[in-house]
Formats: sequence, structure tokens, C-alpha cells
Amino acid sequence: MTEIPAVDVRGLTKSFGDVAALDGFGLRIPPGEIHGLVGPNGAGKTTLLRVLFGLVTPNDGSMRLLGEDWASDTTMPGVGGFVEDPRFYPYLSARRNLELLAELDGADPARVDETLDLVGLSDRAERKVGGFSSGMRQRLGLAASLLRSPRLLLLDEPTVGLDPKGVREVLALVTGLAADGATVLISSHNMPELDGVCDGVTVMKEGRSVWDGTMERLRAESPAPAHRLWTSDDARAAELARQDPDVSAVADPEGGLTVQADRDALDAYVLLLGRDGVAVRRLELLMTALESMFFELTGVPVGRSSAQDQPDEIGAAT
Amino acid sequence: MSASLELGLPQPVARRRGSGVGAVYRVELAKIAAQWLPRAAATACLVGPFAFAIFINTQSSVPGDSLFGRWVHSSGFAIPLVVLGFSGIAGFPLLASVVAGDIFASEDRQATWKTVLTRSCSRSDVFWGKTLAALTYSTAIVALLAVSSTIAGLVVVGRQPLIALSGEPLAPGRATALVSESFAIALLPTLAFTCLGILFSVTTRNSMAGVLGPPVVGLVMVLLALLGSGVVVRSLLLTTPFEAWHGLFVDPTRLEPLGVGFLVCAAYSILSLDAARRSFRRRDFAGDARPGFSWSRTARGAAVAVAITAVLVVAVVVDRTWITSKRVEDSVSATFTNLVAVQQQLLGHADEAGAFKVYPYCKRESVISGPSTGAGDDWNCQLFVTGPHVGRLQVDYSLTIKPNGCYTAEGQPSVIGPLHMKTADGSVAVNPLSAFDGCMIAP
Repeated sequence: MTEIPAVDVRGLTKSFGDVAALDGFGLRIPPGEIHGLVGPNGAGKTTLLRVLFGLVTPNDGSMRLLGEDWASDTTMPGVGGFVEDPRFYPYLSARRNLELLAELDGADPARVDETLDLVGLSDRAERKVGGFSSGMRQRLGLAASLLRSPRLLLLDEPTVGLDPKGVREVLALVTGLAADGATVLISSHNMPELDGVCDGVTVMKEGRSVWDGTMERLRAESPAPAHRLWTSDDARAAELARQDPDVSAVADPEGGLTVQADRDALDAYVLLLGRDGVAVRRLELLMTALESMFFELTGVPVGRSSAQDQPDEIGAAT
Repeated sequence: MSASLELGLPQPVARRRGSGVGAVYRVELAKIAAQWLPRAAATACLVGPFAFAIFINTQSSVPGDSLFGRWVHSSGFAIPLVVLGFSGIAGFPLLASVVAGDIFASEDRQATWKTVLTRSCSRSDVFWGKTLAALTYSTAIVALLAVSSTIAGLVVVGRQPLIALSGEPLAPGRATALVSESFAIALLPTLAFTCLGILFSVTTRNSMAGVLGPPVVGLVMVLLALLGSGVVVRSLLLTTPFEAWHGLFVDPTRLEPLGVGFLVCAAYSILSLDAARRSFRRRDFAGDARPGFSWSRTARGAAVAVAITAVLVVAVVVDRTWITSKRVEDSVSATFTNLVAVQQQLLGHADEAGAFKVYPYCKRESVISGPSTGAGDDWNCQLFVTGPHVGRLQVDYSLTIKPNGCYTAEGQPSVIGPLHMKTADGSVAVNPLSAFDGCMIAP
């Protein structure tokens, strides 16, 4: 029997004026999977999530969520999450905001305290949301999503604004939800952050999918990590690198060398430099393997914006 | 954090129905109740009439340029009617748009559309839930103003009979009923302005434009109505139904303006809501960024508004007036006859209005030849009166007639006595004939 995908979108197209935010985009996510959606800013990640939530009507294409065709302007039952930074009514407390959202969902009001506790906001439940930090709003957004008992969770950059502890907690929560059977789609422009969390990954660029597969396959296909190396004799160091097929070294315009090699080859290369009388003055990681892969696929270094940075932020078109 | 929440994952996807219009309505009412501006407006409606009544009661003068203004010291029922007259100009449109103009635009301002629209309610549910909440607030505000101003009048001034626009005295019970009905009539255009506020709120996505748009439209309509006294264009203005209650205070009661007003309000409401609903349904909620200021869009909007206003100005000016000397004479003589009876009763004579005969002759001073028509402050009426205790009398009145057909008549003290008179029981009362107000009701 064929497994019905939790997300099955085909040929999604959405343009804002002359800008194509989605250009025939397709995606299949098996149920229970945590799937990463990565790409530089402006790749179309947020537009895709808005389409999946029913906030934006695509120009073309089809989508099936949790096995059902969905072409409504309403968020489908069983689907929860948020796009961009979650926003709430600033003049109401966190609890009151969730109570009103529970009313809109027809959800049990008792779940409000449950979800506040789950995201670690119980002690701030009576505070007005207007005074919340971005990280606290992220947590509240997660709580609001969980009120809907989602079988499909769509999260747009859920760790933005969180401290490292908060990031760990959110990712642990997501992992736990997936362990209970939920399917999770997380968008991020930070691929390494998703390493160890996601089962599968789709890399987006300019509204299209440029890579799609499992995390293991992505790691396997990733180029070696890149390092910046400063030595006492960069010319000699480059010459020694040319003798080793597992090491690539090119002069960096800003000084030093950019060296691409996996861990073992790099160890051997550094030892070789020492034996040859070339002192290593500084060695720093430039890009992990996943970051290198991201760069190779999108042409944009991790954490930087693409030149085509507008579609996700375009003002609403009527 | 731990993922211990019951997700119910094994079940097949059940299409859980959105909790619907009712849920959105309840949520919107809760939000309205939590915001300071709607609460401040409601408080003003509650407290304002008491402050007004107390202030008026401490003054020797009266707001004589308002309908029923000259009776504010004589009858508590005049207070809510003066409040109603003031509110109809800009008060109700502004009060209605406090919520209606903000209820959609505030979601743009706070970037909360993505929060609301990712719940189990359709856009249609959201639209109608918000619309119903705005209409409920407007209704509550009108009701609150009606109750508070009536109570303020009764507590501060008293429940004395009220002199109607046709000059006959209204007993407290009848006056209470008519005041209530008058506010109920004013509710119709208030609700239509609410719908207009919703249209502004949805289409501009700007709270300021949503809240101030309807009162500005109302003010332009009030100014347009001052330009001419034709029937057709006045009937099409949304501010005209605010005056339909005048027909309750003339004898016989005239409900035609109410019927026309109902149709006009219904048309404005339906067209506004339909346009707002279409705009809301087809909108892509593609980002939190609010549309920036656009000179070209603003210029286009201003050009359309100016063009519509110019057409209406021309139409108002060329529209034929319904105010004729015959209608003025009929109205003034009927009102005057009733007031003569009121005055005689104050003097201790139990004469009915039917005992007096009044022969009017009214014309405009500025008209040398031809029929006198239209609004203006140059009307003169000569009234020849016969009846018990007055014998044969000629009284001249100067009339100021407004384009809506309401007028103020001021008589000569040498013939009709001073502003205040001594009654049969020795108390001092306002001389009902020294100056009086009346209204002709447009056909």
C-alpha cells in the first residue's frame, strides 16, 4: 500500500506583479517526518507556508495536505503553525490571547494552560503580550499552534529570537511532536541548525526546489567543509596542497588561504605543513559541509540574503 | 519543554468545522471590551449627557438654534432630543467608526491577520463576525446615549410635558415613547455609517482612515445639504435619515422620510458591505508590511471624491426646492394655533386649539414678484388670529427656514408678550409664542 504523504504539493506558482515567488514548486513529505525547508531570504519559503495556510491563493498548482485536496482560504483542520514572527493582541495577556484563539478553534479552553506550560510561559501568562520579547512571542506562537492539536505543523523560522537554550528547547519539542506522529515542516535559512533534527530537506532558490532528499543523502553529497588558513608561507602551503588530491587550497583575496578538505585530509595536511617547516598561525572554520552544500546549491552563503530578496516580504496584493 | 501534549494523531483527518461566525463575534466583542478607545467612547456616551444637562441647567440662556433647544429648561424630554440633534451631524458617524473603522485595519496594524486566519474560521466567518461585532457596538452606543440622555433630562430637569414641533403638548408617557422611537430611527443611518466604516477599514487597511473617513463623509454630506433644499439629492444623502425623527413630532405624524431613509440606509449598507467583503475575500495576506503611502493612489482617490462632490453640488443647487409659501403657511399656522392654546392654558383658560382661527400670509422679503420658495432667513409671516380671550389679532413673525424644512419663528414682543410670562398659578414660564420652532416634512 502506498503511504499517503502529509504534504503533497505540485506545480505551485505564485507571482506578485513581475516577481515569481513560487515557480512550479513541488514537495512531498511522508507522514511523521520532520522536513527542513531551507533557502536564502527571498527563496519563497514563507510564501509557500502562506499558501499552505490558505493566506495566499496560488496562481497555479495543486496541494494535498494530510491526504485531502485543499484549495480553501481557510487553514485546514489538523494543520497548525505560524509564518514569520508570530503576532498577538498587545493589549491582552498571553493567556487571554490563547483563550480567544481557542475560542476561534473551538478548542478546549483547558488546553491553554497545558500549552503555556509546554512552551515555558506559565509564569508569564498574565503579562500583556505588548511587552513580550521576540523570543517569548515565538514560544507563544508555538503554544497557539499546539492548541489546534496539529497533525501537520508548519513552522517558519521558529528559533529566530531565541537564546541557545530556547533553540534547544524548541527543537526538542518539535522532535517530540514528530515522535508522537506529527509531521513537521520547518523553514530556515540556517541549514546547520536543522542538522540532527530533520529527516528530510528541501533546498529552495528563486521559488523552485533545487535539492530534495534525506538529511543523510545531503550530508553524503555535501562538499568538504571550508576553512581559512593563515601560515608563515602561504605560497608554499598552496603548493603542498596541490600535491594532495583530497585538499584544495586557493589564495583568499582578504589574505590567507581558503582550504577545502574533510576532517582526516585536513589533519594530514596540517601535519604535512609542520613537517615542511610552514607554521600554521591560524585556522578557522569558514563553512561546515552543510553550509558548503547550501552555498553550492543557492550561490548564497549561509546567513546572507539573496539578491532577489523581495517576494516573502512583498506587501499584500489585492 | 516537552512534547507531552495529546495530539490524537492516529485518527484520520476529520474535517473539523470552523467554529464559525459566532466564535469570531464573541472574540471580537471581548477584544472591543478590552480596548481603551471603545470603552472611552462608551463612557463619554454615558457621562456626557449628564454633564450637558447639568451645564445647561446652570445657564440662563438656551441652545435656541437647536430643535427643542428652547425647551431644555422646561422639559427633561428636550435634553435627549437636543443630544440626538447634535449627534446626528457628526457624533453618530464618529462613534460608529471608532470600532467599525478599526476592526479590520487594526489586524493590519498589529500584523495579526496571520494569527486570526490560521484558525478554524473561514474568511467569511471572520468578515461577518467582525461586521456583527461592529454593528453591535454601534447599536449599544446609540442605546446607551438614548438611555443616559433621557435619564439625565428627567433627573436634572424633570418630566414636564414637551411641546412638539406642531405646538401641541406631549404627555410624559407619549414623550418617552417618541424619544425612544427617535433614537431607534437614528440607529438606521448609524448602522449604515458603521458599514461605511467597515468598507474604509477593509480597503484602506489604515485605522486612521477607517475611523475618520465616515465622519468626514458625513460632514461633506451635511455641508451639501446646506447648499439647497431640493428633495432628490437630499434624499440620497446618508445624513438625511438622521432627521427622519422630526416626522414623529408633527401632527399628523409623517413617516415618509423614515421609509425613504430606510431604503437609503439599506442601499448604503449593502453596497458598502458587499464591496468590503469582495475586497477582503480576494486579498492575499502575503506579508506584514503595510502598504506605503502612494501619491498616485491618493491623488486618484482625491480626484474621484472631488468629482463626486462636484456633481452632487451641482445637483443640489439645480434640484427644485419643495419649500413653498403654501407649505410654510400651513405649518406655521398649525403650530401657532396649538401654541396659542398652550399659552391660554398657562394663563388659566381651558381653550382647545380648535377654538382659534389663524389666517397666515407668508412670503420672502427678497422676492419682489413671483412665488416665494426655498430656505432662507428672510421669510415673514403675518398671522391673523381670532378666538376667545385674544379677540382679533395680527402677529408678525420673522422666520429662518433651514434647507431641511425646520424653522425658527420669532415674534414681536409688543404683540405677543416677553420671553417669560406669569402663569395663572403665579409661576414664571416660557412664553410659547415669543419664539417657536417647527418643521415642514419633505414630501
